[in-house]
Amino acid sequence: MSSISSRLRPTAAALGGLGPSQPVTGLVWRSGSLIAIIFILALLAWRAPLLLSPGNIGLVLAQASIVGTLGFALTLVVAAGGRDLVKGGIDLSLAANLGLSAALYASLLTAGWGDLPALGLTLLAGLGVGLLNALAVTVIGILPLLATLATMSVCAGAELVLTENLTVPASSPFLDWLAGQGPLDFPVMAWALLVLAAILALLLHGTPLGLRLYGVGGNPAAARAAGLRVRFYLALSYVLAGLLAAVAAVLAVAFTSAATPGSDEMLLPLIVTTFLGTVFSSRLRPTIGGTLLSALFVGFLVNGFQLLAISSYWANGIQGFLILVVVATTRKLGPGARR
Amino acid sequence: MAAFEGGRIGRRGLLGVGLGLASGLVLAKPSFAQSGSDDVPSLAGKRIAISVVGTDHFFDLKSYQAQIAEVERLGGTPIGLDAGRNDKQLVAQLQTLLTQKPDAVIQQLGTLPVFDNQLKRLRAAGIPVFTIDVPSTNSINNTTSDNFSLGAQLALQLVSDIGGKGNLVVFNGFAGVPVCEIRYQELLQVLKYYPDVKIVQPELRDVIPNTVQDSYAQITALLSKYPEKGSISAIWSAWDIPQLGATQALIAAGRTEILTYGVDGTPEVLSLVKDPKAPAGAVAVQQPSLIGTAAVQNVARYLAGQTLPSQTFLPAVIANKKNAAEVQRQVGQAT
Repeated sequence: MSSISSRLRPTAAALGGLGPSQPVTGLVWRSGSLIAIIFILALLAWRAPLLLSPGNIGLVLAQASIVGTLGFALTLVVAAGGRDLVKGGIDLSLAANLGLSAALYASLLTAGWGDLPALGLTLLAGLGVGLLNALAVTVIGILPLLATLATMSVCAGAELVLTENLTVPASSPFLDWLAGQGPLDFPVMAWALLVLAAILALLLHGTPLGLRLYGVGGNPAAARAAGLRVRFYLALSYVLAGLLAAVAAVLAVAFTSAATPGSDEMLLPLIVTTFLGTVFSSRLRPTIGGTLLSALFVGFLVNGFQLLAISSYWANGIQGFLILVVVATTRKLGPGARR
Repeated sequence: MAAFEGGRIGRRGLLGVGLGLASGLVLAKPSFAQSGSDDVPSLAGKRIAISVVGTDHFFDLKSYQAQIAEVERLGGTPIGLDAGRNDKQLVAQLQTLLTQKPDAVIQQLGTLPVFDNQLKRLRAAGIPVFTIDVPSTNSINNTTSDNFSLGAQLALQLVSDIGGKGNLVVFNGFAGVPVCEIRYQELLQVLKYYPDVKIVQPELRDVIPNTVQDSYAQITALLSKYPEKGSISAIWSAWDIPQLGATQALIAAGRTEILTYGVDGTPEVLSLVKDPKAPAGAVAVQQPSLIGTAAVQNVARYLAGQTLPSQTFLPAVIANKKNAAEVQRQVGQAT
C-alpha cells in the first residue's frame, strides 16, 4: 500500500486530497444514511422477524445479484466519467446490454452449444457492446448520455431480432448450479454477488487502477496534467461495464431459467442503486460498497413488504418515500451536510 | 372431436357452434351456483398467497379480485402479490414465499418455464401450490377455462365467417404462456382441414405493455402492405387486447371487411363484437371471476382434507355477431 501511495501522491494531491488517509472502502460507517437504513431495517425485522433469518438473507442477496451487478457496472462508469448527470459518466445501455447478452446466451444454449463456449461468447458480446460505447465516447467524442442511448437502441433491436420478443427458456448444468444452493446453504447467486463485490471493491478502492479511474472522473484536467491517459481510463470503464452487464445477463438467465423480454425495465432500478449508493460514501461518490448496500437495502424493502403482506400497490410508493428519507438523512446529518 | 376424424366439417354444423355454446353457458350457470354454495370449508386462520403475473388486463384483474374476495369471505387472510408483468419480480415473489410459508399458494398465469422451478421448490418445502391457467406438474389443481374447446370453437367460428378461405393474420407473441399456446395449436389443428385458409408469414408478435397501441400500429403497417380489399380476411390473437387494437386500426383505415378474433371477453371487445358495424368477428368469453372463486374454493377443500381433481374447467362461450348481446347479459356486462 505504501508503494502505491507514494507513487500516486502527486496525482492524489492534484485531485484535491484524495489520499491514503481516506478509508479504502470509501464508506463512512457513522453516516446518517446508514443509521436511517439500519433503523428502517430494524423496524421491518421487528414486525417481520423472518426478514433476518439466514435463509431469507440468502434469498435477498440472490435477488439483488442482478441489479447489484449492473449497479457495479454503472459505478465504474460514473467513477471514471464524473458525476455530472448530463456530461459525466453514464451508461444507459447496461439494461439493454443485459437483455441482448441474456438472449444470446439462452439462444446458444438452446441451439445445443456447450456451457463454456456459450458463456465465452456471451461475455464477449457484452464486452463488445462496452467497446462500442467506449469508441463512441472517447474516439468520436459523443456525450455519454447520447452515445449510450444509441447503443441501448442497438442492443434492444438486436435482442428483438434474436428472440422475436419471445421468452427463450434455457437450461444447462452450469445454470442449474448457479440457480442452486452453495456453501452454508446460501444460494450460489448470493455468493456470486458477494465475491464480485469483493473483487471490484479491491479493484476500484485498493489498486492504482481504481484510484486513477476516480482521478480521471473527479478532475480530468488535473488527471491529464498529472500524466494520466484520460481517454484510456474512460474507455476502460465502459468496456468493463459491458463485461459486467454480460455477467448480470448470465445471472438473470439462471434466475428466471430463461431469457425474458422486458430487460429495459431494469434501467431505472440500476440507476437508483448506483446513485442511492453514493450516500454511503464520505465524498458522495459512487463506491462498490455503497452500491452493494443500496442494492441490498432496496432488496430488503421489497422482501420485507411482502413478508408484512403489504400490498404491492402500496410497496412502490413506500419504497420511494423511504429512499427519500435515507437521502434526506444524509443531507441533514451525514458528511454530505457540509455541502 | 369425432367430426374432425372425418376430415371435413359441414358448414351447417359450424353455424350452430355459436348458438350451441350460448346454451352451454346457460346450462353451466346453475352448477356455478352449486359450487358457490356454503358447503365450502372455512379458511379461518389460513394465509393464502395469491401470486399473479399482472393485474393490468380485464381477465387478470377480475380473477385476482375474485380470489382475494373469496379468501376473505371464507375467513382467511389473502397475501396479494402482483408481479407487474415483470418475470424477475414474479420469481422473486415466489422465492420469498419460501420464507413466508403461507398455507397455500395460487399462481395465476405467466410464462411457465420461468417460474416452474419455483413452484417445484414451494412443493418441496411442503407448501401446497395451486394454479390458474397454468398446467404445471407442480400444481395440485389447475383452474382454467377449457382452452382446447374454446380455441377450436373460436377457430371454427373464424373459418365459418370467412367462408373457409382467405389470408389470416396471426398474433403469436406469447408462445410460452400455456393457455395461449393451446389456443394457437387448436387454431392450427382446425386450419389443417381448411387448406384454403393461409396464415400470413411472418406471424405478428403481440407485446405487453402497450398492447393496444402496438397491435394498432402493426395492423396499420400491415394494411398498407396489403392495400387490396380481400387480400386479408381475418386477424386472430390468443387474447383480446391485441384484437382491440387491431379492430380499432381496421375501423380507422376503413378496412372493415376484415374480421378480428380473440379470447377473454374484455368488455370493450365484447361491445365491438355486438356492434354490427365494427369488424370484430367473435371473442371467446371467459369467466374470470368464477375462475378465481373456484380456485380459492379448491384450496379450501384441499386444506380440509378433501380430494380434488387435477383440473377444474369452467365453461367459456363464443360471442359472435348474433349472440353478443345475450352473452353480455349472461356474464353481467350488459349496460
